[in-house]
Amino acid sequence: MGSVTQRPIKVLLAKLGLDIHWRGVVSISRMLRDAGMEVIYLGNQFPEGIVAAALQESPDVVGLSTLCGNHLSLGPKVVQLLKERNMEDVLVIMGGVIPPDDREELKRRGIAEVFGPDTPVKQIVQFIEEKVRGRDPS
Amino acid sequence: MKKEGLFNEKAIEEIEKARALWQGECLRPEDLESEQLLKSASGIPLRLIYTPENVRDMDYLRELGFPGLPPYTRGVYPNMYRGRPFTIRQIAGFGSPEDCNKRMKFFLEKGGTGLNIVLDMPTIRGYDSDSPQAEGNVGQCGVAIDSVEDMKALFQDLPIDKVSVSLVTHLPSTTVILLSMYMVMAEERGIAPHALAGTTQNDFLMETTIGSAPEILPPRHSFRIQCDVIEHATRILPRWNPVSYNGYNLREAGTDAVTEVGIAIANAQATAEELMKRGREPDSFLPRFSFFWDLHNDFFEEIAKCRASRRVWYRVTSEKLGAKNPRSHLMRFHVQTAGITLPSIEPLNNIARAAIQGLAAVLGGAQSLHVDSFDEAYSAPTETSALVSLRTQQIIQVETGVTKVIDPLGGSYYVEYLTSELERRILEFLEKVKSLGGIVTAVETGWVHSLIADFAYRQQRAIESGELPIVGVNYLPSDKKEPPMEIFRYPETEGRQRAKLKELREKRDKVRWKEALDRVRECCHEGSNLMPVVMDAVRARATLGEIQQIFRECFGLWEFPLK
Ligand code: B12
Repeated sequence: MGSVTQRPIKVLLAKLGLDIHWRGVVSISRMLRDAGMEVIYLGNQFPEGIVAAALQESPDVVGLSTLCGNHLSLGPKVVQLLKERNMEDVLVIMGGVIPPDDREELKRRGIAEVFGPDTPVKQIVQFIEEKVRGRDPS
Repeated sequence: MKKEGLFNEKAIEEIEKARALWQGECLRPEDLESEQLLKSASGIPLRLIYTPENVRDMDYLRELGFPGLPPYTRGVYPNMYRGRPFTIRQIAGFGSPEDCNKRMKFFLEKGGTGLNIVLDMPTIRGYDSDSPQAEGNVGQCGVAIDSVEDMKALFQDLPIDKVSVSLVTHLPSTTVILLSMYMVMAEERGIAPHALAGTTQNDFLMETTIGSAPEILPPRHSFRIQCDVIEHATRILPRWNPVSYNGYNLREAGTDAVTEVGIAIANAQATAEELMKRGREPDSFLPRFSFFWDLHNDFFEEIAKCRASRRVWYRVTSEKLGAKNPRSHLMRFHVQTAGITLPSIEPLNNIARAAIQGLAAVLGGAQSLHVDSFDEAYSAPTETSALVSLRTQQIIQVETGVTKVIDPLGGSYYVEYLTSELERRILEFLEKVKSLGGIVTAVETGWVHSLIADFAYRQQRAIESGELPIVGVNYLPSDKKEPPMEIFRYPETEGRQRAKLKELREKRDKVRWKEALDRVRECCHEGSNLMPVVMDAVRARATLGEIQQIFRECFGLWEFPLK
């Protein structure tokens, strides 16, 4: 359990590229707030826009949501651009409709975890807390 | 003097007494307690049982009547499925037009009776396959269409003068282009406009509310294009539905049944009022309006929704819009089963879910149907899963016997009660939208977005708390992890589309192309109907992305209100 004065975990969420499916990510963004995190939802963005926002906001976590098949072409690009801007500490996670075979590929390319449909949001909260607090025991 | 209902006072009194007796002597106290909490999926309070008491004021002829006659509760056609079986219209959409053409032929070979095409993300949102925004999404989630040449390849060897075609275009701004491409394709194949039967979606809520995107046109402009398409197409395409008011996508994004139907009807009414302002008689376009419902889990409520929506539409067209032509009153609708109810866990169970929802659609009197496939939460359907959906429809159509008798649940005390209650709530919702300044304003202010987002959030919490049970997910959770099945992979499409675009751009007459695009730009500013100039641009081989870019420049972009 963190102390009361702990700064909230900051999460930047985005809909990846042209994906129109906002139901999941908008619900998650509210539920992460309910769990005490600070959430900035960027709406639809391409990797460059997401990384530009990350530079400004210095989040602990960048969360990408996509249900429309652009996960492999755009997801790892976010990781790569963050690295180029010296932001490789940021935890990048993804969720949405992503075929199980591609999840392994995404993890190989720097995505920390991929959450598919029917994942309870408390599992996502737990994962973020463990990774972020585990790394930075302030 | 009060008009006598279906049941006389004395009969009702006797039933009341008998029910009190039954309640007191046969039921346990906990049964009555549980009744207090009983609700339909849309929040309508329910009783343990329905009797004539609950429909005591029903006026049969005013509220039910006969199919094909006002108020159309029992169906839009006098003979319903005896005359015209519902159209078996499974979705096809992936890869290049050539790839998708094969899937459409597969459906027709296996007994499908209508076509239903979904487009890839770049096409839906108005980008060419070679644009930077399209990267990684070409031919994914739908078929890629860049120019009229692609439209030709998509329908190669398909009998479009005999089979009706639904183009799931979603946004008005891409509908005006894609319908133009469809018409020019038919023109170049020598097929007359009056032979073309089908539907385009063309709903400004799809452009501004239901889906988010990096670039979105302002609601007012999107609504204008929606009306332009309807105004023009109803003049030249007598068998085309230029609009399908899409309750489905609203429901999938997050609404109950009342809001699903309410918003779609509010949009239909607003369109009619706008076209009347433009000088059109309601009877000249209302017969071509069509609707699209989501058949969700609450079986009886969904059937009642279909019935109530027909009755509400009749009240709107006759009382508010002054329509006289009987065809103006007919709410014809397509149904898709509810994708949102189909989890990734134990996917084969989804065959049962979709079959039950499909059955409800037929009991509700749908004109056309798509049944979702068991691999819904993974990817587009494989040929195997798509065939199960097609066969599900055929099983409902010829094996179950449910199509023999018209509106077989009509007269059920429960279904009639639900139908009246839904009607009342939909009419109330229409009043609410009116008080907010109409549907376009309700979208512009973000009111509709919040309504949906709040509902989706509550629903997600209800799933996590177990309040909303899903078998195998939060109710008797499954211990299986991996899907025991093949997952559809999209064929590589980007390279092939890019090559075709390069050739098109090199070959076309540049002068004619440029002049045609200039006329589109002028027309955007002038405010006259866009469709004729867009058709000319399509004839001159302008691409989807080139025309859409003009819309963005002329109308500007709008900021999506959800943060
Ligand atoms: C609802 C829905 C829609 C709604 C979306 C409304 C909205 N505003 O969101 C509507 C009806 C509009 C829609 C449209 C389309 N859809 Co759709 N849709 C769905 C559906 C049924 C459910 C998605 C959903 O909201 N689930 C509920 C939420 C809560 O779940 P979720 O988003 O998956 O989120 C969970 C996890 O994935 C994860 N998660 C998600 N994002 C993130 C982000 C982070 C950071 C983290 C940590 C976790 C996380 O956590 C959440 C909680 O568990 C899915 C199928 C399915 N059952 O999944 C198809 C599906 C996604 N759609 C699909 C398609 C193809 C489309 C269309 C493109 C079809 C077309 N070509 O016309 C259109 C788009 C049209 C347009 N206008 O642009 C396909 C995608 C196929 C693919 N990827 O290969 C699917 C898989 C259905 C299918 N099998 O065909 N759709």
